[in-house]
Amino acid sequence: MAERLLTFDIFRYNPATPEIPPRMQEFQLEETVGMSLFIALNRIREEQDPSLMFDFVCRAAVCGSCGMLINGRPGLACKTLTQDLGEKITLMPLPVFKLVGDLSVDTGVWFRYLNVRTEAWIHTDQVFDPKGLEERMDNPTAHRIYEAERCIECGCCIGACATANMREDFIGAAFLNRIARFLIDPRDERPAAHIFEVVGTDEGVFGCIGLMACDDLCPMEIPLQGQLAYVRRKMALVALRGK
Amino acid sequence: MILQKTLAKSPRLEAWMELLELASGLFLLGFLQFHLFNVSSIILGPAYFDHDHNWMVYTGIPLVVLAIGVHGVVAMRKAPWQFQEARIFLQHSKRLAHLDTWAWLVQIITGFLVLILAAIHIFSVLHNWPIEAVKSTARVQGGYFSFLMLLLLVAEIHAMVGLYRIMVKWSWYKRQKFTPYLVYSTMFFVGLGFITLLVFYFRSLPKGLS
Ligand code: HEM
Ligand code: FES
Repeated sequence: MAERLLTFDIFRYNPATPEIPPRMQEFQLEETVGMSLFIALNRIREEQDPSLMFDFVCRAAVCGSCGMLINGRPGLACKTLTQDLGEKITLMPLPVFKLVGDLSVDTGVWFRYLNVRTEAWIHTDQVFDPKGLEERMDNPTAHRIYEAERCIECGCCIGACATANMREDFIGAAFLNRIARFLIDPRDERPAAHIFEVVGTDEGVFGCIGLMACDDLCPMEIPLQGQLAYVRRKMALVALRGK
Repeated sequence: MILQKTLAKSPRLEAWMELLELASGLFLLGFLQFHLFNVSSIILGPAYFDHDHNWMVYTGIPLVVLAIGVHGVVAMRKAPWQFQEARIFLQHSKRLAHLDTWAWLVQIITGFLVLILAAIHIFSVLHNWPIEAVKSTARVQGGYFSFLMLLLLVAEIHAMVGLYRIMVKWSWYKRQKFTPYLVYSTMFFVGLGFITLLVFYFRSLPKGLS
């Protein structure tokens, strides 16, 4: 492989030093074989600027902490290889989420808030029997739940969404997908009408205008178009039935 | 809780707005293609064009005007009306370089254009009532050709992008599967409209009317 000299154009801003305005800063780095953005950013921090802020934990597309705008599009930095990009690479933090500094954003607070608001847990009156046999679920249902459960909460679908960018309280694809998961799950005894109060709204599924950047850019390739349409049909049915 | 937001919140009404957008969009889509088929009957000859269809236009025109009004209001309710929202949307679209995201802007602009052009179109037809092949021919030849071509293009693009959006938002099918069919249908309808306009343009008029 021919050695390339990569130019990184990286967003810099530290909320702790507001007197220094947000800016783009250039770094240059020689590409190595199989280099991911994770490796590149760590080398820049070690060799050129120890103050550069960014997040990684798992380096393997599992934890969801390294979401950022790569050449303008949300993606996981640990999963993105420089060989798939041009010689000039622009990196910015994900929009919508609160900036921690440079490329690091706080997705945790956002997801935590929505988990509470949508009550993203199984609602059941059944008492758990630790000694009893586990209840069985048929395979297709389990698969459909698992499909939604693959979400790693990286926030890429939220950063990619025009509505989420414009309207702060829109719950976005990550949560509509989460809702789909509970609507499918037979153990959740919540009536759809209960979920409707939060999701059948303009902050919920009816705020979605169907631009599908979430579906195109989800790093886990969750079929979000189908998940969103499923929730939309369910919620429209509740409205039509009037209950 | 935030008082004014909680009081104003109505999931039921917000859901109905969306259903109204769906229904009015589908109705207008059905009307547009139906209208195009009717007008294209001129290809077969003026006898097909001029049959008695008054009941249709007398009920149809008020209904369509009403539907455009309702659709205009509900479909535009999510547009980035505030200057800052519009800037966020444009900057976001540029960064993302994503076709479906740009298509929303196309939808808003073509929606506005349809509103203006359709108003002129309906007015010019009502002004020279009733609809007859000779009158329509005179209109097309008297300078309306490019106007109607523009209306055809803008309305078809708006309607078919709208249908795409509806299928994406509501249907069971993956968009990668149905997109080509929507593109072919759009080409078909624009082609049919174009041929219809050409037939009008090259028809010979009885003397004294041109
Ligand atoms: C021949 C007339 C028209 C047809 C066939 C038509 C059709 C449609 C359809 C099928 C949709 C998709 C609806 C949905 O996503 O639920 C749509 C969306 C839209 N229409 Fe129209 N429409 C027409 C006229 C207009 C007019 C006059 C305006 C503006 C005043 C307008 C503005 C819009 C906007 C802004 C959207 C996007 C809404 C959204 O994505 O949230 N349309 N139209
Ligand atoms: S570091 Fe965990 S997903 Fe990238």
